Amino acid sequence: MTNGSSQPTVFVVDDDPSFRRAVSRLLRAAGHQVKVFCSGSEFVASLPAAGPGCVVADLQMPGLGGLDLQAALAGSANPLPVLFLTGHGDIPTSVHAMRLGAEDFLTKRAPREALLEAVGRALARDARERAERTRGQEARARFDALTGREREVLEHVLRGQLNKQIAGDLGIHERTVKLHRTAITTKVGVQSVAELTQLWMEAFPKGQ
Amino acid sequence: MSWVTIIWSMAASACLTLAAMHFLIWARRRAARADLLFALASAATAAYAGCELWMMRSQTPQEFALAVRWLHVPAWALIVSLVAFAHVYLRAGRLWLAWTVCGARTLALLLNFGPAANLNYREVTSLRQVPFLGEAVSVGTGVPNPWMLVGQLSLLLFVAFVADTSLAAWRRGDRRQALVVGGSLVFFATGGAIDAVLILWGIVQAPLTATLLYLGLVAAMGYQLSEDALSAARLTDDLSERDQQMTLAADAADLGLWVWTASQDTVWATENLNPMLGFAPGEPISAEAFLTRVHPDDREPTWQALQRALDEKSEYSTEYRVLLPDGRQRWIAARGRVERPGRGGAPRMLGVCLDISARKQDEAEMLRLHADLAHASRVSTLSQLASGLAHELNQPLGAILRNAEAAELLLRRDPPDLEEVQAILADICKDDQRAGEVIDHMRALLKRRGLERVELDFAELVSEVLVLVQADATTRKVRLAVEVPTTLPPVRGDRVHLQQVLLNLILNGMEAMTDVPVEQRRLVVRARPAEGGMVEVAIADAGPGVATAKLERLFEPFFTSKPDGLGLGLPVSGSIIGAHGGRIWAESGPAGATFYFTVPVSSGA
Repeated sequence: MTNGSSQPTVFVVDDDPSFRRAVSRLLRAAGHQVKVFCSGSEFVASLPAAGPGCVVADLQMPGLGGLDLQAALAGSANPLPVLFLTGHGDIPTSVHAMRLGAEDFLTKRAPREALLEAVGRALARDARERAERTRGQEARARFDALTGREREVLEHVLRGQLNKQIAGDLGIHERTVKLHRTAITTKVGVQSVAELTQLWMEAFPKGQ
Repeated sequence: MSWVTIIWSMAASACLTLAAMHFLIWARRRAARADLLFALASAATAAYAGCELWMMRSQTPQEFALAVRWLHVPAWALIVSLVAFAHVYLRAGRLWLAWTVCGARTLALLLNFGPAANLNYREVTSLRQVPFLGEAVSVGTGVPNPWMLVGQLSLLLFVAFVADTSLAAWRRGDRRQALVVGGSLVFFATGGAIDAVLILWGIVQAPLTATLLYLGLVAAMGYQLSEDALSAARLTDDLSERDQQMTLAADAADLGLWVWTASQDTVWATENLNPMLGFAPGEPISAEAFLTRVHPDDREPTWQALQRALDEKSEYSTEYRVLLPDGRQRWIAARGRVERPGRGGAPRMLGVCLDISARKQDEAEMLRLHADLAHASRVSTLSQLASGLAHELNQPLGAILRNAEAAELLLRRDPPDLEEVQAILADICKDDQRAGEVIDHMRALLKRRGLERVELDFAELVSEVLVLVQADATTRKVRLAVEVPTTLPPVRGDRVHLQQVLLNLILNGMEAMTDVPVEQRRLVVRARPAEGGMVEVAIADAGPGVATAKLERLFEPFFTSKPDGLGLGLPVSGSIIGAHGGRIWAESGPAGATFYFTVPVSSGA
């Protein structure tokens, strides 16, 4: 996240120079910052330097196609949302693309409002996901400070167990459990178990 | 009536009758010069007989001498006409010898009318009555004229000439003519000469009876000539039979036979030619009348073909339409050749006409069917391309829309960015043109049309096809490459039909690579000049190739390896290339299949 705070960019990837120019004009006129690429591979190569934003890509491109581009993005450190444009909307491909998490799927002649709204939605999603990713990272850093025993106690706390049960499970004294819990809340910086649980969810969204 | 009078008169009249007959034959057919000469010889014999009768019936030595003198006139005519006859009839003989004979005989005739009583006697002194055939006839006695030898020498020369001429004819192979004419001439002329010598020198006291020998001569020659006339008649019969057979054959084959004499512009023809060319039965045909019946568009080429054949004495072969009186038109194929009959004869053209309307109709029907099939195949090919084409159209249309929307936003700004709007408008025009081109190509391919051959730039042809297949190639992840040298000469062909062939082969090639790893999916369109004034085009794919056994059958209709294919694409491509005078074939190897075709280089290049 080299420039996480900078203005988001719409990355236009299309092999057709004429359409590329037209769509980037529209997006600029609508107030977006735009960067164009003439092929999927060119964009993927520049991905490490890419900041926040979203991708508007042609689904059918020679070489690295739209779906390949999406797959490459999903596996990268900067999983920008992708908005597909296509010359002709064929349903199997669009379903596939959406299932892989495409933000939207529009024909090249979709109404301007639809396009701009979709771009807006994609940018919002990127901002949201980016913020979540940032928060999760901070939270994970806080949990990283815990010792092994404290982590064990934390897992039991998150499962909603009482001190007595935890002491029984871990084979330690109930007072020691209390000391660990105090250390955890102090280190992580929360006041209550509810806060602790929420922070944990942010740090490990899929319940790791 | 005495026997002498009867025999000599009958001999004379028989000769005259023969003379008249053969004179008439010659009068009808001037080429029959032998008949004229025979008529002259016969007439001379008749006159000779008359003079002999006069001698036998003369009352005074003076009258006898006069009769002998006049006898030499028919004798001269007889010899001269026989020389000519032998020369003409046997088509041989030394000319100098012939002239010598005639000269000697003419000299004898001059001497005959000299100071002596005649050629044979200086003077006839007395007449004696000699019994002959039961009556008394006059025989003269007198002083023999030694110049008589000139006459007898001419007879000797005549015999030599005839013998020589007959020998030449015999050697040449005309044995019968040589034997009958030569033999009888020699035999009877010798006999006549001996008769005359014996009597005129006074060795034998008898009247001159050479007439009888000359009659034999006339009979022999007359027999030979009538044989000739007979064989000619037989020939005529044969010919007319052959003529009938030919007419029958011509009728059966629906052939109209004709002979055109150009100098007189007359046409002889079999009966079936008249209705074939739209003439009434029995109406005389001439080239002029014929041309008015030929379709106006075909008139000039037909006339030129006739003239060219006449000028170059070559074969004549043409096809044209005739307009029938009922307004229908009929296709005729005509073949002919020029013939020069003999020396100085007018050139004639012999030929046949055949009604080929049915064939032409079939041909037209075939062409129409081919065009329909080609069209159907194009429509089916385009339907395969439909989604690709939609993409190809949506690209510029989408660009136009986005540009227009951008322009609208830019114009709302204060101040509006007019420079950018101007650039946008230029782009819009360009994209509109691009979309229009795609539509034009598609429409051209969808149109039902015949073959229109024009000069074409092959590279341009290929690039137009690539516009149509590019989207499909992208979807199929096939890389397309074109290797057309810039030095390639322009080709001559029908733009749409050749594009159809390219489209077909390219789509086939791309389809063949469906199961091939993506990185190997490459299709190359190559073109190079080939021998025989052709351009060879190759479309190479990297698919699994075609089994050798199938290679041969690829261009057969309904032979297909695709489950949903009609199997018409390659046969239609084959017939299109065939119609261009080119060749189409396929080769297969481990690296894939390559389809080749050739098209002629434009002769204007």
